[in-house]
Amino acid sequence: MTHLLYIDPGSSSMVIQMIVAGALGALFFIKNGWYKIKSFFTGKKESDNDEMTTL
Amino acid sequence: MESNPSNIGHRNPDIVSSSYKDNSGYVFLYEGEYYRAVSQAYEKEYAQLMQSGLYDSLVHKKLLIAHQETETIPLENDVVRILYPTQIPVISYAYEWSFSMLKEAALCTLNNALEGMKFGMMLKDANTFNIQFLNGAPILIDTLSFETYQDNESWIAYRQFCEHFIAPLVLMKYCNASLNKLMLAYPNGIPLEVCKSMLPLKARFNMHVYLHIFLQNRIASKPTHNNGNTKQYFSKQKLFTLLEGLKSFVSSLELKKAKTIWDNYYNETILSQGYLQDKKTIVNSYLELIPFQTLLDLGANDGEFSLLYKNTSKQIIALDEDRNCIEKLYRQCKQESVQNILPLICNLTNPSPDLGWNNDERPALFKRINADVTLSLALIHHLAIANNLPLEKIISFLHSLSPYLIIEFVEKEDPKVQQLLANRKDIFDSYNLQHFKTVIADFYDIQKETKITNTYRILFLLKRKG
Repeated sequence: MTHLLYIDPGSSSMVIQMIVAGALGALFFIKNGWYKIKSFFTGKKESDNDEMTTL
Repeated sequence: MESNPSNIGHRNPDIVSSSYKDNSGYVFLYEGEYYRAVSQAYEKEYAQLMQSGLYDSLVHKKLLIAHQETETIPLENDVVRILYPTQIPVISYAYEWSFSMLKEAALCTLNNALEGMKFGMMLKDANTFNIQFLNGAPILIDTLSFETYQDNESWIAYRQFCEHFIAPLVLMKYCNASLNKLMLAYPNGIPLEVCKSMLPLKARFNMHVYLHIFLQNRIASKPTHNNGNTKQYFSKQKLFTLLEGLKSFVSSLELKKAKTIWDNYYNETILSQGYLQDKKTIVNSYLELIPFQTLLDLGANDGEFSLLYKNTSKQIIALDEDRNCIEKLYRQCKQESVQNILPLICNLTNPSPDLGWNNDERPALFKRINADVTLSLALIHHLAIANNLPLEKIISFLHSLSPYLIIEFVEKEDPKVQQLLANRKDIFDSYNLQHFKTVIADFYDIQKETKITNTYRILFLLKRKG
C-alpha cells in the first residue's frame, strides 16, 4: 500500500517501532502480569481482531 | 512529501506562509480571520473524520479545534470545503513554552492519535506547530492531520514526534531547563543525533530515553537493506502499545527544580510593605480608565499583575524571560482553571525572530501579538541599566506594541537601580526622570502620573500619539 506520505518517517522507522513497541510491551508485561502478555503475543497475527476496548 | 505550493500561492495570495507542507489543504486569511481550505485530495478522509464520530469526540474532549463549514467564501479549483475554525487569540510556538506547556502539548498530540485509532484514523504528523493554547490548554489546530489508518502500518509521525517533543523534553529534564531554546535553532525538530550527544550517561539508563532517542538514532543512522518487497507487519496492538508507552513516559517526566534569580521575587525582594498593594491599586485605577480587550504584561514575573484580571473577558499575555516564573504561572492558571492568561517565555532583548523558509514561515513573537495596552512595571531599569539600552530605543519599542502603555519609571536613587550599578561604572547620565519625560513626549501623551509613596518609582498612563 503506497498512500501519500507528506513527511518522511525515516527508512528504518518500522524496524525501530517494532523494537520500541516490543520493549514497551515487555515492560507492560512486567507491570501487568501474565494475562496481558499472553494476549499480546498470541494476538499479534490477528490484528484484525484486535479490539481497542480489550487493551 | 511536500505538496507543490506554487499553484495555491498564485491562486490565493493570503495563504498563510507556513501552510505549504501538506496537500490536504491550506490555511488562509480572509477579512482578518483564519480559514482552512480542504482540497480534493483530502475529501474522503475529511468525510471519514466528520462522519465516523471522531470529530465530535475530539471536540467534546477539547483535543481538536472546533470548526464550522462555511459557504460564504467561493470554492476555487480543487478546494471542496472551507472551514471556519475557532480563532486562536495568540499564536505561540514551542520555544516560548515552559516545560509543562510542552509536556501537555505532547500529551494532547498523543491523545489525539489514540482517539483517532478508536475511529479507524491516525495522526499523520506530530509537530509542535500544530498545537496551540486556547483557553489555557493545548489543542490540535490542524483539522486535516488525520488520515485513514492502514492495517499493519507503523506510526508515520513517530520520528517527528520524538524530534519535536521527546528530544526537547528530555534535554530540559536531564541537561538544562532552558534548552527549549534549542528549538529556535531546529524548528523542524531537534535531530536525535544532537539530542543524544548532549544527554548525560544516566539518561541512557532510562528505558524510554534509550529506546526513543539512543536506539532510534543508532538504527536510523545505519543504511537499510530493505528493498521494499519485504512485507512488514505492525499490528494495531503494537501501535497502541507504542502510543500508550509514549504517553506514560511523557506523563512521568518532571523537571528538576533549579532556582533562578527571579524565583520568589515578590516574597523575597519586595522593597517595602505596601509597595505592591499601592502599585496594584494605581494600575487597576489606570486600567479602568481605558478601553482594552488584550493586555500585554512585559516582565510579568509569576503573573502578580496578570492575575488581577484572571477569569475576566480580557485576554492577558504574560511574558517573562524567567522560565521558572512562566512555569509557575502556567501551573497556577491550570490549577485555578484560569483560561484567559497565556504565559510565554520571552527575553525582551532577544524575542523570537522570524523563522523558517524565507524567514517567513514562523513570524516573530511581537508580530503575533496585538495588544491594546502594555504593562511595563519595574522593567525599564533592567533594560536601560542592565542592558545598556537608551531610553529612546526602549520607548520606541514599547510604542510599537499597543495604543496604551502603563509604565513604571524607577529612578536612579532606587535601591534596585543602585544594586544594578553596584559593580559597574555609572555611564547612564541620561537615565533620569526629566530625560524620560522628554523621550515619552515624542511618542505619547501623558494621561496620568502617580508617584508610589515612599519609593523612587513613578507610574504613568500613556496614550500613543497619532
